[in-house]
Formats: sequence, structure tokens, C-alpha cells
Amino acid sequence: MKKDFYTLENVIRLPHKYAAGPTFTRFYSGLKEGTILGTSCPSCKKTFVPARSFCPGCLVNLDEWVAVSQEGEVVSWAYTEREFFGMPGKPPAILALIKLDGTDCNFLHLIGGIEMGDRDSVSSAIKRGTRVRAAWNDEKRGHMLDIKYFEPVS
Amino acid sequence: MGRPVAIIGSGQTHHGRRFDVTYPELIKEAVDAVFENTGISPDDIEGVVSGTMPSMMEGVALTHFYFAEVLRSVGKPIMKTETCGSTGISLAFTGYYWVASGMADLVLVVGSEKMNEGDSQATMTTVLEPFYQRSFIAGAPGVFSMQSQEWSVKFGIPEEKVRAAATRLSVDHHNDAFDNPYAHIKKKLTEDEVNNARIITYPVRLWDVCPNSDGACAMIFASEEMAKKLGLTPAWVRGVGYSGEEYWFGDSEKAIWQCAIDAAKQAYGMAGITNPRKDLDVAEVYNPFTFQELLYYECFGFCDFGQACDLTLKGVFSRDGELPCDPSGGTLCTNPIGATGLNRVAEAALQVTGQAGDHQIPGAKLSLAHAMGGVDQYNGVMILGSEK
Amino acid sequence: MTNRVGIVEVAMTPGAETKEYFLDQVFKISKEVLDKAGVARDDVGTVISASSDVFHGGMSCANSYYWDAGAAFLKNGSRQDGESLFAFIYAVMRILSGNYDTALVLGVCKGSENPDDDVLTHFFTDPFYQRQVGLNETIAAALQKREYMDRFGITEEQCAGVVVKNLKNALGNPYAHVKKKVSLDDVFASKVFMDPLKEIECAPKSEGIIAMVLAKEELAKKLTDKPVWFKGYGSSIDGFYLGDRDLLEGELPNAAKRAYDAAGIKDPRKEIDVAELCEPYAFQEMLWCEDLGFCERGEGGKLLESGATGVNGDIPVNPSGGVLAMNPYVSRGLYRLAEGFLQVRGQAGERQLDKEVNTALAHSTHGFAGQCHAVAIIGS
Repeated sequence: MKKDFYTLENVIRLPHKYAAGPTFTRFYSGLKEGTILGTSCPSCKKTFVPARSFCPGCLVNLDEWVAVSQEGEVVSWAYTEREFFGMPGKPPAILALIKLDGTDCNFLHLIGGIEMGDRDSVSSAIKRGTRVRAAWNDEKRGHMLDIKYFEPVS
Repeated sequence: MGRPVAIIGSGQTHHGRRFDVTYPELIKEAVDAVFENTGISPDDIEGVVSGTMPSMMEGVALTHFYFAEVLRSVGKPIMKTETCGSTGISLAFTGYYWVASGMADLVLVVGSEKMNEGDSQATMTTVLEPFYQRSFIAGAPGVFSMQSQEWSVKFGIPEEKVRAAATRLSVDHHNDAFDNPYAHIKKKLTEDEVNNARIITYPVRLWDVCPNSDGACAMIFASEEMAKKLGLTPAWVRGVGYSGEEYWFGDSEKAIWQCAIDAAKQAYGMAGITNPRKDLDVAEVYNPFTFQELLYYECFGFCDFGQACDLTLKGVFSRDGELPCDPSGGTLCTNPIGATGLNRVAEAALQVTGQAGDHQIPGAKLSLAHAMGGVDQYNGVMILGSEK
Repeated sequence: MTNRVGIVEVAMTPGAETKEYFLDQVFKISKEVLDKAGVARDDVGTVISASSDVFHGGMSCANSYYWDAGAAFLKNGSRQDGESLFAFIYAVMRILSGNYDTALVLGVCKGSENPDDDVLTHFFTDPFYQRQVGLNETIAAALQKREYMDRFGITEEQCAGVVVKNLKNALGNPYAHVKKKVSLDDVFASKVFMDPLKEIECAPKSEGIIAMVLAKEELAKKLTDKPVWFKGYGSSIDGFYLGDRDLLEGELPNAAKRAYDAAGIKDPRKEIDVAELCEPYAFQEMLWCEDLGFCERGEGGKLLESGATGVNGDIPVNPSGGVLAMNPYVSRGLYRLAEGFLQVRGQAGERQLDKEVNTALAHSTHGFAGQCHAVAIIGS
């Protein structure tokens, strides 16, 4: 015997206004100008991107700004043909961790500029160690996606 | 009661509209402050407790992930406590139990809120389930207005007297806040201004209500041995109490507010307090609404039921009165919800360790800290003392 | 002050979606565990629960909602907004402090009322960076799996082997959500979700309301003739930005060491009789086995292939089917603990191991690619 009870549907929409603070504000300005900014720690000498207000290891406040290389190596990648909530764009897409030259952390972003229709062609084009370079949107607004994606350097 | 536990230091941010920093950067200020104030090395911390209002407030869920670095918790054990408005004091309890259990000797506790990044009243409305109550609760002011009406009618207190007592609290606290370097709203108000301010939900008016503050508070709990080793003045946890009522707002009466009475009773029992108004030197009562503060004086046994207005007007609870309440200005002047309860504990600790600066109550040895949460659902009380 | 804390009783819901009202479920489970334990509500010392607003219908201040249903009216209680092993250890702390004799521990998560877990985990992100790039737990796990395969040669067969093992184990678990016998071929044929993860390698979204009664030593012995004792616990959290971390060298070894030290365990593989781990993504079971010291770094695949983590192996892992079969996000750690409890008591029914079980390990993880871990050790 199946019991059928009422189901109440409910959507919650709440607005938020996030304070970006001085560091992200400056990082976003950098994106608008086509530069990827990082900050370096005077204590451990590591460079982080996106720019940080403090070193995650040493916890000292950071003030040394540097325009980091826009080229680097793929560390890991994930490929999907399905749409998911919060997806930056439409499928198919490749999310990736990229080690930009001269930095000490991995940069989370997208890989593009290649044939993406099937998994096999993607996995022959993109591997751990593949060198990629940032490709920019013409219109920039101070957002992570001002960088369209990172594409393989031929 | 288990082994002795003490608060050996705290740090607060400047509270207000902090659009100058991101949420983690704000928390870092309080955490940096507590380490600077105490000289303790962050490496020596054995566990971290973090807490803030639910995800809808700032739009980030399970924030202990986001704050891992600024909490100095990377590589360390962590706990995340949340009980709505009473979160701050529940955080303090978590730190206390972590040390009292013997599972750690040095614990960092951090409460925080960035209210101005979200819509606080809308968030609080999502506390109510959508089947029934959500449509009927006009945010926090609605709830507390209903409660205050229930109370004043039950005890036959004339409206004008309640208004006068509430106004006295508002004027005093907003003025007291000038002596608290971290307070958000500091203002010299006249009685006229308070009496005639814009109505929020009758009888509550603008100056009867707390602001939306951004801020964070960090505090360190230690075992007796550790406190001695570090050579810092301890504020001993002498009593803890907490109680929760039904989720359904109409189920229990809120004039004789059982969970508030029980929370205080538990804490008094542990601390050996039999005459609160006499035994306590200062009380940091959670007072987002002036009207509700009067109710707390009665539920905590500072006076008989129905008497709070008279005694307030006589100055019994003023800074120079018999039992100063909220010399920091209290929640009425500063309300970053996830931190507010912890701020009450921090202030109570500063008082009994003689570190409350310009708002020090001379000779304070025994203090009370309190926080409330939910839709008039939770109350928590902590007693701190300069002696063990 | 008491020396030991014992788990006296457990009650839990199965993982399949029901149309029951949330509060009715919480009430039923709370009442059931108190009845089974022979503890009147009046005699419950404190109530500690774990839940999270986004993981139950978007209701903020989560425990406000189920406070009365969870037996906490006019009780001194609190809540952990994270994983349920946090609630367990907080209840243990409250009893060890001497302030309480008994505690009721709840894990509350009604998966069927929520959006997909990937929607919810997306909100763990910071709004400025990782949210803009669309990160969620599945993407983080996919990136971690790729690294695991690249760096240590873990194979798709080995990952599929975890799925086959756990789903087979789940067939004997009346509480499991996914009840499906699958072969290696079934796994290979499964749809790709977030390459290199296939759908079947990712945990479902389940209902999970669970309650546990804890008591101090003398009382635990009175309430039951087989209390299962708390022996040790450890937790640890990693950094926040995914790119700052080495995804294969996380914080589980630290969490495990804290638990092992407290429990006096020197050789985990020998001294632990059963391990219930949270493996929301199949490959993670192998990685966590390495972190827990069941084998060397990089050998997790070989460990699986050897059969050591099977129900007849020397270190059975997830005889319940684990999280791949049953995933109420916030409660899953407490479910692991409950499974360990039942194994030690010999009450695990069809999934009871065919050997003496004296010491059980329960593990939970939450956050991107295992940012946060907790380990609890219990035993007879």
C-alpha cells in the first residue's frame, strides 16, 4: 500500500553583497587589464595566485605584488559533458588545476581552445604536464572568467 | 564539575560596516589580536572552534572550510558550533568542554559575522519552516515585540513605565559604548529621541534595537596547568547553563521564560550563586532589544518578576548601580550575530581580570555572560570569576 | 570524573527517499533509541546533534527545527554544523567533563528534500575565485582522482573494484540506499559524470537520521551488557584553496595519528578489526586506506586487489557498503560509527563479519577532496 502525502515546494532566493577588500579589488583590476596578479611572501618566498592578502602558510600579511606568468603546466583536469549548477558556461567543459610558471600554488580555471566533443580526443590533447597559456575575453569586467580559458601552447 | 578551565585572553575587531575587508580578512583581525594580546604562539593551540550564523547570511556554507587558514587551524582538530543567536556562547561552551574533558589544554574559539554582506532579517525568516510559521513571523523584531507585550500585560506593568525603562536602557547603553573601543554604535541620545524614534514593530522603536554589525571575536581557553605555565591572568569558568524550548513559537509562554530561567539556574548552581544581584559584580546580558533586557533581569533573578522597570529607573542596573549590566554597551550597540554571544563572554572575562579599560567596573570578581538564540528558543549563561 | 564513555544503543533510518515528514522521522528515531537503551527522556543529560541548514531543506539554525522532535525540550544541548563525528566527540567531551552522565547524539539529514549535493557543495566555495570557476565536490574529487592515477598508477579497474565490493556488501545492509549488484563491466559501462569519474563511482544523496545514546562507564554497564567503549578520536583540516594543497597528501594521516595515539594503537592494520570509511568517490577509499596506514603510500590499489579489504580479508573496509551505497552527507560519519558499533556487538545481521570484532574504526570526511577528516576508534 503506497501512501501519497503532500509535497511542498519551496525556492529560497537571497541577495548577497560581498566585500572584496583591497586585495581582490586589485586582483580584479589586474584582470581587467589582462594581467594575472599574485603576491609573494617575504618570509617563505612563495608566490600565490590569485593574489592573497596573507600567506596561507606563514599567516603574514602580503604586500609584494607581481604580474605572474600567464603560461604554465596542467597539473590535473576534469572533463564533463553535463551541465551542473554554477557552471561557468555550457558543456562540454574542462576544469583544471594549472601551475603557472614562477608561482607556488595551482590555479583553478578552465581549459579550452581544443576540440571537446569527445573524451578520447580531449585526453590525447590534454595531459599532466601539457603547457597552456591564458586566452582572454575582449570585454573584461574584473571577474575570474575574464580569462576565457587556458589553451595548449603549440 | 570537571577540571578547572579558564579564559586567558581575547581579541575583538572593530565592529561596524566592514566593507573594507573580506570575511576571512575580518576574522584574521580578531585572531591576530588574541595572539598579540596574549603572546601565545599559534603553534601551541591544540584545537580550534569556529562559528557563525547559517549559510544564508553570507552565502557560504560550512564556513570552517573557507576560514581554515585565518583560524590558524590548518593541520589541527576543528569543531564548528552553531545555535543561531546563541552561537557565541555555544562556541564558548565548546571551548570549555574541550578543555574540561581533558582532551586539550589550549583551545582557540572564534565567532564571527559579516551581516552587511547579506539580508539578516530574510536569513532569520528561513529559520522558520515553510509549512506554517514562515509566513507569520515578522523577523526578529516581530517576535520580541510579541514577547514584550505578553510580559508587560501579564505583570500589569503600565505601557508608559515599560517605555520609560526601555528608554533609560537605550540612552545609557548607547552612551556607555563610547568607553568601549570596539563597539559599533556609540551615540548620545536624549529620552525624546528614543521615545519618538521610528517604529519598527510596536512597541519597539529604532533605538530599542541592535544594529547589523560586522565583526569577529577570538578567545583562548586553557587548563589550569597551561594558564599557570603561560603566566596569564585567568578568568575562571565557574558555571555554565543552557536550555532550549520548543521550535513552535506559540507553545510555551515567553513572559516567565523557562529556558532563560533554567540556563541561569544551571550556571548559578555550578557557581554557588544564591543571590544573583548581590553575588554578581557585573552582567553582560544579551540585549538586542531594550524591552527584552528588562525581561532577562527578572528571569535571571536580578529582581522579582514585574520589578525590572522600577529598578532600572532607579539605576540599580546602571554602570554605577548595584549590578551594572552591559557596561560595554552590549548587543544593543554591537551585533555581529555569530560573535555577539562570544563578545559577551569576552567582556565578562575582561571585567574579572581587570582588563576592561575605560568601562571597567572597579573590583569586579564575578561576572555573567549570556546569549539567546532562535525564535525565542535558546538561552545560555556562563559565569566567570577571578577566583577558581 | 569518569574515565570511559560507552555507546549504549543506536537507531537509524534507511537511506531511501521517503515521503515521511522530517520531524516525524526525527521523533521516531530519537524515541526508538531511548526506548531501546532504557533511558527516559527526563534522564537524558545533554543532546548534541549534527546537521546543516543547506543539507536540510534550507532551514537556517538547523537544530531549532528538530529540537523538540529530537528529545531536547528544556535540555542543555548544542549542535555541530559540519560532519556528525564532530557531534559524537562533543558529546563524549561533555560526559568526560563530569557534567553529564548520558548524552543523546543525533545526525540529521533528509537528502530527498534537498537539491543535489553538487549544488550544495558549490556553496562551500568563496565567492571571489573558486565559485566563479564553478567548483564543487565532484569536480574537486575528479581532479584528485586524475592526480592519484597519474602519480601512483592507480587504475580504473581498481577504482571499479571498490564500487563492486561496496555495492555487493550493501546488499546485506537493510539501511543501505543503493541496492544493486554490479560487475566490473557494469562500472565501465556506467555514464561518465565528471571525467575521470563515472556516475556509479559517486555517492548518491540519501536520507539519514541517526541517534545514539552515550553514557559514562558505570551507567553504560548498567544499561547494557555490551557497551562499546570510546577509545580515541582525531580530526584535522587542510587549507581552503584547492590549488594550495597537495591533493594526495592531505590531513587524514594527522587525524588518524591523533586517534591512534589516544587509543594506544601502534599497528593499525593488525589492531583494527573493521574499518568503516567515508568514500563519497570510490577511489578515495584506497587513498584513505593509505592515509590510515593500512598500506604504503601509492599501494591502495594493490591493497584492494589483494582482497585484504574484503569481508574475508584481514582489514575489512566498509562491510556495510560505505557511503557509495548510502550518503546522507552530514550524518554519514555517525552511520560509520553505528556500523562499527553493531559489528563489535555482533548485531550487524547479514553483514556481520565472520571473525571476532573487538576494535572498529569509523572515519568521516567532508569538504573539497577531503579537506576535513575525523577518525574515531571504538571497541569492546
